[in-house]
Amino acid sequence: MVKSTKTQSNHYLRRDVLRIGGGVALAAPFVGRAWAETTEINMLAWYGHGEPDMVGAFEEANNVKFVPKYYAGGDNMLALIAQSPPGTYDIILSDAEFVQQLNAAEYIEPLDANDYPFDDMLHEDFTKFPGHWDGDTLYSMILRGGHLGVSYNTTAMSAEEASSYQGFWKPELAGKVGHFDWHLPSLGMMSLKNGNGAGLWDLSDAQWEAVQETTMSLRPQVGGYFDYGGTFNGLKNGEMLAMCGIGDWITGVLERDGAPVASVIPKEGGIQFTESYCIGRGSGKADLVKSFIQYMMSPEGQVKSAQMLAYPGFCVTKAGRAMLQEVDPKEAARSHQMDGMANDPIALINEGRIHYRDIPQQQSLEDWNDFWSEYKNA
Amino acid sequence: MSAPRRLNLYALTWRLPIILWQLMFFVGPVLFMVAISFFVVRNYRMTEAFEFVNWEKMLTRGYFWDSYWYTLFIASLSASVAMLVAFPAAWALAFRASDNLRRWAVFLLVIPFFTSYLVRTFSWYVILAESGVLNAMLGYIGLGPFKMLNTHFGTVVGYLTLTLPLAVILQTVTMANIDKTLIEAARNLGCKPLATIWRVVLPLSRTGFIVAALFCFILAFGDFVAPFYLGGSQEPTLPILILDTTKSGQQWPRAAVVAIMMMLTLFTVAFTAIALAYRKPAGSR
Amino acid sequence: MQGRGLNIILALYVALIFTFIFAPILFSLVFSFNSQRFPTIPLGEFSTEWYVKIFNDPDVWQAVRNSLIVSSSTAVLGTALGFCTAYSDFRYNFRFKGPYLALILLPPTIPLIIMALAMLAWLSRIGLSGQLWSIILAHSVLTAPFAMAIIRLRLHQMDPDLEAAAWNLGGNEWQAMRHVILPFCAPAIVSALCLTAAVSFDEFAVAWFVSGLNKTVPIVILEIVQGNIDPQVNAIGTFVFLTSMTLVILAQAIFISRQIKSHS
Repeated sequence: MVKSTKTQSNHYLRRDVLRIGGGVALAAPFVGRAWAETTEINMLAWYGHGEPDMVGAFEEANNVKFVPKYYAGGDNMLALIAQSPPGTYDIILSDAEFVQQLNAAEYIEPLDANDYPFDDMLHEDFTKFPGHWDGDTLYSMILRGGHLGVSYNTTAMSAEEASSYQGFWKPELAGKVGHFDWHLPSLGMMSLKNGNGAGLWDLSDAQWEAVQETTMSLRPQVGGYFDYGGTFNGLKNGEMLAMCGIGDWITGVLERDGAPVASVIPKEGGIQFTESYCIGRGSGKADLVKSFIQYMMSPEGQVKSAQMLAYPGFCVTKAGRAMLQEVDPKEAARSHQMDGMANDPIALINEGRIHYRDIPQQQSLEDWNDFWSEYKNA
Repeated sequence: MSAPRRLNLYALTWRLPIILWQLMFFVGPVLFMVAISFFVVRNYRMTEAFEFVNWEKMLTRGYFWDSYWYTLFIASLSASVAMLVAFPAAWALAFRASDNLRRWAVFLLVIPFFTSYLVRTFSWYVILAESGVLNAMLGYIGLGPFKMLNTHFGTVVGYLTLTLPLAVILQTVTMANIDKTLIEAARNLGCKPLATIWRVVLPLSRTGFIVAALFCFILAFGDFVAPFYLGGSQEPTLPILILDTTKSGQQWPRAAVVAIMMMLTLFTVAFTAIALAYRKPAGSR
Repeated sequence: MQGRGLNIILALYVALIFTFIFAPILFSLVFSFNSQRFPTIPLGEFSTEWYVKIFNDPDVWQAVRNSLIVSSSTAVLGTALGFCTAYSDFRYNFRFKGPYLALILLPPTIPLIIMALAMLAWLSRIGLSGQLWSIILAHSVLTAPFAMAIIRLRLHQMDPDLEAAAWNLGGNEWQAMRHVILPFCAPAIVSALCLTAAVSFDEFAVAWFVSGLNKTVPIVILEIVQGNIDPQVNAIGTFVFLTSMTLVILAQAIFISRQIKSHS
């Protein structure tokens, strides 16, 4: 109730701002903005999380301004925090498997579980997500997830060929298989291909050896290693016909744009990336950040996350999913977020075909990264 | 202040600030990086230490040396290509163009330095793609499509974007400064045009040419944009290796090792080049 | 005799080289007005969508403001440093002059990625990283050699007796500096200011590393290229191009016109 009046008044405010704004748009940046007392919230996140489509409405309603710094990969995120004074980042969007390390390094504040809708989760795993809790203390709030599998150009590969990681080795794809330039998802997929299933991160020396061999045998197929932008372009313009290490989070955006690409979870299983919010240790704006996280966990916020322009992620709350089906049935259908639909992400988890992305258990991250450099150079 | 020979306040005013400034913000960082290469990383945190593990680890890695030789090779290659491709154009501008035309040409060649290199690279991406502009044009005359992105070719095109304008400018300026009477004298003595280039123009422009080549090499050697976006990181060059290393588990000390190796290489190349450039000609003609 | 045919071939060759150099700039301009989100051939419709987008994005404006602050401060600092060195080199001979000059001339020979790494490590060590002026500090070191080169060239044109004459007329060194050297160097100083500003305006590697949360225009470009790539890059690029060009043309006009005057 309170909420709706608030948003309404925002609409008025917004209209006024737009009207007046037109005239002063050019001068404004130089004289400082009219609402100069705006609080700034520093955000460390993957690309897109601090863009207007995600935070714009919250910014207007609460007179805050997000200042995002974008990273690529959990290692990169840790490095950025380590190089900044404590308290630099108020909110950190982390991949779930790195929360534990954020916590161990004392970079994040504990959260109060009562602040968040844990009774409304779509899957029970989400309530006690690995690494997010230390005993009974919550350190990170799960926001969204996405599944990684075989991403391919539908004109170059059939859905059947894509239904196994073996598809990457298709002779016609030589030089046309791209890698997302991060070792965890790609090597995880190779581990799945080797049949390690749920133990994909927990590799004995022999299994690790085998994963390296499998990976190396893919090398002749590989046409390049790309960051987010490169992956996008590569798939879009046909430079790459299949991509290892990604999923719907990239092909989904291209699909929305009409490109002939798709992602499937192959029979060996898929990997889930999970993105969670943490409050930076030493942040003076913890209360504001808390209300932002609450907002993103509300149905409205969950819908924003599902529709995020940079890359989509599925809803984790029941109310969020229900609202998505109501307000954007097209996106709900595209991303299979309908009960009973084939490849419904939650159903895939229930069927045991999805494994949460994690860090290597028996080797160190460094070993994996070392091998990755070697692989790129081979 | 009145005695001009002593090192006085006036002289110090011009000399001292820059020494302090450069010590603080140039020598400081570089030396600190050397120190970092001996630090160790524990639990994602850099800890001060004096250990050789990083050096040992990097220098015994096959992939480091693969990257090293590849970077050396591709940077030398692109510097040579830039120099060769630039030469006829520079020769034409230096000897066949009017002063006015030459001034305009040099001015135009300066322009690229003031456009965003990233934006230019991104343009190349679109031009070189398999479904891109160049292949579309080649398609009209029945050729292609050629795979140009994510190849060595792509990388070299990227480097040339950076180095070719510089090579043309430096070569043009160098050759334009040659005393024209020397060339005429050679002609009058019956020297053929190509022989004139070889025996008169090149020796006289040696310094300028070596400096130009050196700059091309330095720019290509240290650039990560071209090999990453146009070469698809295969194989990764040293700058890409540096980025990869900093991305992985906070391994700044190892990245520092790579950086120091790069600097040592560059200094060696630069000193050799400069020595060659300013060496007295062996024997006179 | 063989002159004309050769001239035509050479002219064509020069045109080809210029095409190679300017193709990416022209295409960037074209794509900035192209409606497609992912630029491919054939082109989509003419559209100013991307310009509207960047002009309505407060983050882009903030970045422009940051870039202006950084490049103008860098210009002043870098040019001041360059002038000091150029003048010292011109006026004095002293022990360790070689190392002294190396100190200021070496930075451009070090790859930017290495400078970036070293700068961030060092500046965060001494507590100066993550600020807008961290970029200024780093850029001043990177750009000073360019300023030094331009000003040194100008000083080279000066009659060394001119300064001495001023002393003889009863002025002390400071007055000679103020009334003789500085006015003489003025055009070179202005050129150096423009050049250093332009170099700083486009530098992204060092800036990305040391800036923390402060974004300059090239950092915004880098983020779009790495992230949700779209033709806003081209629109911003065109804008940057126009800004830098204005600076360069100003520098060129001032420097060249003075040079011509000084020759006549």
